[in-house]
Amino acid sequence: MSGSGTDADAQDKPVKIDKWDGTALKNALDDAAKKVMLDKYNMKEAHSLMDGRLLICTVAVGFAMFALIWDYLNPFPASRTVLIICVLSYFLLMGVLTLYTTYTENGIFLVALDKDKAGVDPDDIWTLASVLKKYDDIYTLSIIFEDGKTKKKRTVEKGHSVANYFDEEGSLCVEKFEPFVRQLKDSLNFEKKGN
Amino acid sequence: MSGLLNMDFLDEVRRMNKRQLYYQVLNFGMIVSSALMIWKGLMVVTGSESPIVVVLSGSMEPAFYRGDLLLLTNHQEEAIRVGEIVVFKIEGRDIPIVHRVLKIHEKENGSLKFLTKGDNNSVDDRGLYAPGQLWLEKKDVVGRARGFLPYVGIVTILMNDYPKFKYLVLACLGIYVLIHRE
Repeated sequence: MSGSGTDADAQDKPVKIDKWDGTALKNALDDAAKKVMLDKYNMKEAHSLMDGRLLICTVAVGFAMFALIWDYLNPFPASRTVLIICVLSYFLLMGVLTLYTTYTENGIFLVALDKDKAGVDPDDIWTLASVLKKYDDIYTLSIIFEDGKTKKKRTVEKGHSVANYFDEEGSLCVEKFEPFVRQLKDSLNFEKKGN
Repeated sequence: MSGLLNMDFLDEVRRMNKRQLYYQVLNFGMIVSSALMIWKGLMVVTGSESPIVVVLSGSMEPAFYRGDLLLLTNHQEEAIRVGEIVVFKIEGRDIPIVHRVLKIHEKENGSLKFLTKGDNNSVDDRGLYAPGQLWLEKKDVVGRARGFLPYVGIVTILMNDYPKFKYLVLACLGIYVLIHRE
């Protein structure tokens, strides 16, 4: 019982980070946007993008561990061929990972599924991506909406200074950030109704 | 400092879900794996089982001082010649020794026996070899010195002399990687 209690505490406590750390700022805002989409709009998170990255990394580390064990059991130079294969595979996978993070993921931190209430039509897909450049203070949030039935995509993005959402101590003010996310999302909804 | 003593810095970890936690562990694994793969890659490229060694004694002064880093290669096609600096291991002992080749006896089939001596020593290495051993052979050679970096190896010597310091540094680095979110 106490375990779930502390978990809930950790989630509800106001998020406090080092306000000068750009990565922490971006992560805090991304997490807050995630919460809005999943909790307030009742969407389900689709994990396939993150799972892809985890898979590439796991395979890479697997090659490295295999090389370690093989070399321990068959000391160099007997293990030369195996080592060459593992080293080349590892660095190749690192290259694949970089390409994956840069082009496939491209700042996306959430893929959420909006389930159809009737349970008949395919889910709408909401994709959230963000950009916060190093040493910059403008956080740009992009929302991409893909209609489940027509498969058509619509994008909207808006940037604000992070100073709007964090106080002097580095605590995130959710009351200021949540309306921004809702507004951005609703603007896509209105477009939908317009069509 | 008080931030470190509070558990504030662990809040970030508590906020992570299972996938993010696994990714933090993977991150740590990838850093270790990258270092490992670079080391194994060097082993393959140089042909030596220990491509980088630290000079541990002053027996090769003034060429090498204690704490210098040496890059080795061990290509079998390159013959060992008198005057070359070789790194070798005595059978039964782990520590690599960096000395110069003094004399060589070579057979026609390419097998050879050689004697070594440190530049700064007054006698040859026969006192260091295993009891009854008078010559070294190719199989004892870890590699030949091809390049060197001065002073850099002092850190390794320090870490070996004070293992607690080594574990402390590694533990701090490990914890930092596991907690810090990309």
